Amino acid sequence: MYKASAVFIGILIAIMVTFNGILSSYTNQYVSILIIHIVGLIALIIVFMLKKEKFKIPKNIPFYFFSAGLIGVFIVFLNNLCFNSIGASLTLSLGIFGQLVLACFIDHYGLFGLKIYRFKKKKIIGFFIVFLGLVTMIIY
Amino acid sequence: MLYIILAIICGCITIISMIVNSHLAKKIGVLQGTLVNYVMGLLGTTILIVIVIVNNSVNISFGNYTTIPLWAFLGGLIGILVVSGSNIVIPKIPTIYTTLLIFIGQLSTGILIDYFRMGFISKGKIIGGSLILLGLIYNSNVDKKELII
Repeated sequence: MYKASAVFIGILIAIMVTFNGILSSYTNQYVSILIIHIVGLIALIIVFMLKKEKFKIPKNIPFYFFSAGLIGVFIVFLNNLCFNSIGASLTLSLGIFGQLVLACFIDHYGLFGLKIYRFKKKKIIGFFIVFLGLVTMIIY
Repeated sequence: MLYIILAIICGCITIISMIVNSHLAKKIGVLQGTLVNYVMGLLGTTILIVIVIVNNSVNISFGNYTTIPLWAFLGGLIGILVVSGSNIVIPKIPTIYTTLLIFIGQLSTGILIDYFRMGFISKGKIIGGSLILLGLIYNSNVDKKELII
């Protein structure tokens, strides 16, 4: 059941990237990101009101914790740009490749205070197959 | 070629933002964390737009947007669904399957969407996509063996 939900989340991500990409082709990069964030914020505020949760942030949180939102702006920016030039499936597949490679790198060195998981050489085979798949998608 | 590199970079920074988000969520909760994200995102976008307008590098017009279909505005809303859905689902399934399962959804929908936009499905996308899945499954098996031992 939860596994099916994970697939469903993937479907939602693809739809989201499409909607955002199409919005940016109607308007432009900058205005579309503004609209996307405003719509998201309104939706969140409604959720807050429904759950009757209060908003309070404890002090002394390191500043870089707040940077994810800023990184998010670049993610949406790049996604919209790529969607409109190379299409949905290739944008998403290349993104997954980037995630995999960086995730292995972070795990291997235990960056960002995460647990160290050493890279296994056997995984190079898997990465090679993924890479081959990407090349096939790009060429044909 | 430029867009290929940009799409890969996009995946890299997605991982970084996911890690920072999970740190943030541990400190102040998922819902508040998401709110902080969107507020910071809105702030960042506003600063970006001000810079662009001041430099006059891009012509930004807040013109007539009535021609835009209503659903195109819903991307931000779906984003909230993705974040809250992930928070419920991801802790309940083994990590090694997360990427795989989410990618299956992304890829099949992505191919369908490209079909609707361009009117055909290229064989390369299907063969390439299957190869990517194969590679992902292989690597999660490598991880799985390690976990059992």
